[in-house]
Amino acid sequence: MAPDADAALMLAFQGGDEAAFRALFEKHGRAMMAFCQRFVREPARAEELAQDVFLKLYRSADRYQPSARFTTFLYRIATNHCLNEVRRGEYRARPEADPVGEDGAPRDPDSYAGPAATPEEAAHGTALERSVRSMLDGLPEKQRAAFVLARFEGMAYEEIALVLSTTVPSVKSLVHRATVAAASALAPWSSGEGEAP
Amino acid sequence: MRHVQDDLTALVDGALPPERQAEVEAHLAGCAGCRAERDLVASAVRMVAAVPAPAAPAPGFEQRFYARLAREKAARPSRRERLPGSRWRWAAPLAALGAAAAVAVTVGVAETRSDRLEMARHLDLLENYVVVASLDTVESAEDVEVVEHLNELEARP
Repeated sequence: MAPDADAALMLAFQGGDEAAFRALFEKHGRAMMAFCQRFVREPARAEELAQDVFLKLYRSADRYQPSARFTTFLYRIATNHCLNEVRRGEYRARPEADPVGEDGAPRDPDSYAGPAATPEEAAHGTALERSVRSMLDGLPEKQRAAFVLARFEGMAYEEIALVLSTTVPSVKSLVHRATVAAASALAPWSSGEGEAP
Repeated sequence: MRHVQDDLTALVDGALPPERQAEVEAHLAGCAGCRAERDLVASAVRMVAAVPAPAAPAPGFEQRFYARLAREKAARPSRRERLPGSRWRWAAPLAALGAAAAVAVTVGVAETRSDRLEMARHLDLLENYVVVASLDTVESAEDVEVVEHLNELEARP
């Protein structure tokens, strides 16, 4: 296994170095919020979930073993936490809100991290994102988690298996079924691939 | 002819072992139906990759977390910060619980094999508690969970 700088930070934190924990949060905190937003819609709630994940990490640091990659440990905590949140069932029935800022005004397009060169591309990206989100909301939870880890976090099947405490063949099946569901949900977009339906 | 639908996403993801990848590709060369399905999967993967990243956090993201962490630490000192005297607050009741369980089983008449197995299980648990308590590490409910599953951990490769 390649040297894991995050693991070194985690070990330093285990030894009492609080700055090492801050370094981990500053490196992974924003990505964690993005991950949580694949499970809940409201940015404020996603931020709260991301904070929860790092608080859990803070409390459970003593249980971290450097034999596991830090991201595996972190995303295992995060996936369990987000799925617990989704299980509460508040999200499926809620209509998708228009993307607005805290003051109710439309959110500044620059606040999106995606590369949208024109307003048309931004609108297209937002509509595509809504289709994907609706598809995610309809997936069984393990498929959803496997899909998010594979497609948005770019994890290999082997690491997803570690995060979800399952086998690689199981991950392969979960990712496949979710991707087939995505293909079906996005079929209206696929005629001109990238063109709005 | 056995179709290969279940392998198509892994193929697109480059996640098949080389031997299986060659088999699937050989099948695709002669199966229009599976090729069409492969193209659908590949198209979905490309479209999902084009989904914009979620909105960035509002300014002050890190500061809000550090403020919450500070509140949390003030309300619940970390194990490093606890007084040494608090360390046995879980160990003592656990040892007592384990001992009570062992005594209850021992005093009862262990006439059947299942009774004897049950007694052995309780004695192992008591032993775990004694070993861990001797290490001065039983401090929280999370530690209790670890102790309860010590044998499982030992069994893993």
